[in-house]
Amino acid sequence: MDSSLSVPETEVEGALDSGGQRRAPARDRAGRRRVRALLLRPTFVVSALIVVFWVVAALGWHLFGLDPYGNSGRALAGPGWSQPFGTDNLGRSVFARTLAGADSALAVGPLGAVLATVLGSTLGVIAGYFRGWVDTALMRLFDVLVVLPPLIFLIVVVAAFGASVPALIVIIGVVFAPGIARIIRAAVLAEMGKKYVTTARLQGESAFRIMAAELIPNVAPTVIIQATLSLSAAILMTATLSFLGLGQQPPSPDWGLAINQNIAFIETAWWTVIFPALAVASLVVSIQLIADNIKETWS
Amino acid sequence: MTAASRGDALPGPTPRPGAADAAARRGVGAFSERHSRILALLGQRLIQIPLVLLAVSVLTFWLIQLVPGDPGRNALGQYATEAQVRAWDVSNGVTGSVAVRYVHWLGGFFAGHWGTSFIYLVPSRPLILGHLENSAFLALYAFVLLVPVAVILGSVQAYREGKRSDRAITIALMALSSVPEFVIGVLLLVVFAVGLKLVPVQSAADATGNVGQRIHAMTLPAVVLAVSYLAVLARMVRTGTAGAITAPFHRTAVLKGLPYGQIVRRHVIRNALIPTVQLLGIYLGGLLGGSAVVETLFNYPGLGALLVTAAERKDAVLLTDGVMMTGVIALLALLLTDVCLILMDPRIRFENSES
Repeated sequence: MDSSLSVPETEVEGALDSGGQRRAPARDRAGRRRVRALLLRPTFVVSALIVVFWVVAALGWHLFGLDPYGNSGRALAGPGWSQPFGTDNLGRSVFARTLAGADSALAVGPLGAVLATVLGSTLGVIAGYFRGWVDTALMRLFDVLVVLPPLIFLIVVVAAFGASVPALIVIIGVVFAPGIARIIRAAVLAEMGKKYVTTARLQGESAFRIMAAELIPNVAPTVIIQATLSLSAAILMTATLSFLGLGQQPPSPDWGLAINQNIAFIETAWWTVIFPALAVASLVVSIQLIADNIKETWS
Repeated sequence: MTAASRGDALPGPTPRPGAADAAARRGVGAFSERHSRILALLGQRLIQIPLVLLAVSVLTFWLIQLVPGDPGRNALGQYATEAQVRAWDVSNGVTGSVAVRYVHWLGGFFAGHWGTSFIYLVPSRPLILGHLENSAFLALYAFVLLVPVAVILGSVQAYREGKRSDRAITIALMALSSVPEFVIGVLLLVVFAVGLKLVPVQSAADATGNVGQRIHAMTLPAVVLAVSYLAVLARMVRTGTAGAITAPFHRTAVLKGLPYGQIVRRHVIRNALIPTVQLLGIYLGGLLGGSAVVETLFNYPGLGALLVTAAERKDAVLLTDGVMMTGVIALLALLLTDVCLILMDPRIRFENSES
């Protein structure tokens, strides 16, 4: 380890990593091997295909000639040849609405998750690196934020700031950040005991450089897993808010809203509720499975 | 108690100051020790809880002040004159700076004057407490279903660790836990209420009926609540039990030839359930405060659904008081958990012998 003090930085990390979780001479090759390991797992491939399907539906539903708003003439018609998923009480195609609903499901989640991850990892790395009063202050603040059940907190925040897409992105980012910060902080605390941090300090690297160039790459797998999990949670949260009537408003084809609007017809027209419900479940579960697969192959 | 007397029979190299009279009191000493621990904890929490609540109340109050809308106009309708609206605002304490209103509200909250709901036009206190009671019934029902199933699944997994049944249960629970609550609810509704017609679709109408009807109507919501917490809890029990049955004290107990039922009761359960109880405390707080999703889905008159309505219709009074109440309950549930942990934790029992 002592010899690595003089060699260029990538080498230092590669050599020192051998003592940690990651044993890779070069990051590129390790990355490629991980991706290959992931592609060999059937649950990962199926989940990824489902996510891709919904992304394509979200981006391209109007290209396929789907009409989620038009009245087909027959209200609450059961699934059949012309309407594969049936129609709702306003005669709208449940099939078209379910596919178009991917749009609003994916409008908030990805950006919200990115914001939460950036904010959470930054705070987590800072708390873990500096410890002391910065750490204590952040953790006590988070303690207060987690007293209220998360959904109740979210309801209050949404009532205060509204449920437009930009507002929801910021809200999801801020609400999810403390949880991520906590986990990243724990990961950073584990890294702080390793020799490469001491080495970097002895070399006179600035605190910012140690955090950005040394610590963050080494906790990157944790960050990526947390980002994926928070994406799934963000999609679930926005769907839940719509389901509660606090998110998207009619005539949006949002899945949560569709369940809220059609639950009254569940006895006569189960198809108006089941298909949006299965759509939410497939997307949320797939992303969770992707996170799970990443966790299993990378650690 | 046996532990305490055993400890007294083998005094350590440096007896603590209280050891002599603890020995004199024998087994009773262990009890008073535990009591004093609980009292110390209660004292500590009595300082901590109000501080945290204060922080939560500031946050909640400030956030809800940002709720757009004109409460006076909403309450009186579009035909009221400007002067009437202003008079209503004054009498309902919605004028003045945020700080003044906060102090006014906080004083009222602790004195039991909770203000009048804008949308229901009744005092918010009985409204919230009534819905809280409904939520608590549902939560307890869900707990009664949840805890035995989780304990059985988790301990079966721990005893069969690494075998196929362990993995199968893990995968099934994980799949179940990642499905959103309202999706599970919708699926169960379609199967049991629409298909088999075993339970009513809505639980609101029956929630005020007699006990039998209530329980019947609450079954499906309770099952959905229980299912959504099952996976994490079973995982907790599994980890705890696996830790206990691989621990040296378990091997010692087996080698001593103790009857297995006794080992499970005295050595495994107590140790295995400590992390589980900790988690249950967090869940209990959330559940008692009402599950917004399940209550909305089944149209059940609980606190969660009430808060959703309050948020939807911009009822600041109802929302502030209700959210504050959920905070109080969550903190009390955590306190209850701490007391349970002290009662269960064997380290408290063995404290005398370790001195």
